[in-house]
Amino acid sequence: MTTSPGRNTVHELTIEPGTGKALELRRGQVLRIEQTSGRQCADFNCFNLHDYKEFFHTGRTRHLHGLHPTKGDFLWSAPPRERPMMAIIEDTVGTNDVLYPRCSGFLFEHHYGLAVHTNCHDIQAEAQREFGLTPDDVHDSFNFFMHTGVDAAGRPFIAKNTAKRGDYVELLALIDVLAIPNVCGADVMMTSDFELKPLKLTVFEGTDQDWSRVSEPPRLKNQRSPSQFKVKNIKADRELYRDPSYRPEFTNVPLQISELEVKLTDEELEWIERLKVTGKYGESDAEVLRYVFFTWWIGEFMHGPKHAAST
Amino acid sequence: MAETTVRLRLNQQQLELIDNSIKAGESAGREELIHRALREFAAAHLPSVADRKKS
Repeated sequence: MTTSPGRNTVHELTIEPGTGKALELRRGQVLRIEQTSGRQCADFNCFNLHDYKEFFHTGRTRHLHGLHPTKGDFLWSAPPRERPMMAIIEDTVGTNDVLYPRCSGFLFEHHYGLAVHTNCHDIQAEAQREFGLTPDDVHDSFNFFMHTGVDAAGRPFIAKNTAKRGDYVELLALIDVLAIPNVCGADVMMTSDFELKPLKLTVFEGTDQDWSRVSEPPRLKNQRSPSQFKVKNIKADRELYRDPSYRPEFTNVPLQISELEVKLTDEELEWIERLKVTGKYGESDAEVLRYVFFTWWIGEFMHGPKHAAST
Repeated sequence: MAETTVRLRLNQQQLELIDNSIKAGESAGREELIHRALREFAAAHLPSVADRKKS
C-alpha cells in the first residue's frame, strides 16, 4: 500500500499502457497519479459525477493558470459552470501541459500511417464507457507530466519527459467527480520518451491538511447551473432542428453606443499625439484615449491574469 | 488654457465599468477618471512625462 501519513487509502491500482480507468471520487478524496518507472505522460479528464455535462475545461484552466498548471492551481469546468472541480495539491515534477489536445486515432493515421494505434482519445472513451459516456463525450485532457513549451515563432513543442520513478501529482476533489486518468498512448512521440509505462493510481481520504493547501476559489453569479438554463433538458436526439418558439434573448442587447465628452488640455493632447504616432494605440484621438483608458483600468483593477499587452 | 473636446464612443457596459469605479471611490466623475487614466498611462509610457513627474 502507498504510504501517506495521516491519510486512509481507499483504492489502489495500476493502469497498464494503452489503458485508463474511470474512478468515482467524492468531494474531499485525493487522487494520486504516480510514476512507476518514470517519464510517462498521464492524460486526465473529469466530470461532475452527478451531471456529466459539467466537465474539465482546458481552455479556462489554461487562461487562469497558464500553459503549465501545477501545485496550487485548479482544474476548472467549462463555461457557464466554471467551477474549480479539483485542486492540484502536490506536484513533484512541475511539467504539466494544457496546451496540446489529446492525441487521437486520426493523428496517428495522418502523421504516422498507423491506422490502429493506442491514443488518448480512444483510451479515454473506452474507460468512460463504463459509465455510459460516448466517444463524443471525451474532452481535451489535462496532460500531467507532459513537458512542453512554445518556441519563439509561437509553435508548441514537446520536450523530453523528466518525471522520475516515484514522482506524482495529487488532486483533491472539490466536488464529486468521475476522474479518468489514462496512460498516454503516444509511443512514437517525445511525450513519454518513446516508451509507455504503467501508472499507479491511489485514492485517499483527504485530510484537513489537504484542504489547507487549497486557496479559496471565487464564487460568482456567473458560475451557472442547469436550473438557470432556458433549455433545462439534455438533448437526446442527434438531429438538429429549429425550435419555432425561439425568440433570441441575448445579454445587454442592443448594445447602445453613446459619446462621452472629455475636454483635454494642450498638454494632454500632446500626450495623445505622441501615443498616436507610435501606431500602437489607435488612429484617432478618441481611439487612443479609449485604448489608454481600458489598458490602464485593466492594469489597475482587473482581477485574474492580465490579458492586455503592457505595450 | 486651450481645451480640445474628444468624444469617446462607449457602450452601456463600458460606461457601467466606469461608473462602478466611480462608485468605488476611484474618481469623482467619468471625465475625471479618464483624465486620471491618461495622466498615469502617459507617466508610465512617455519618458519625458515620467521625468517631469519625478522632478
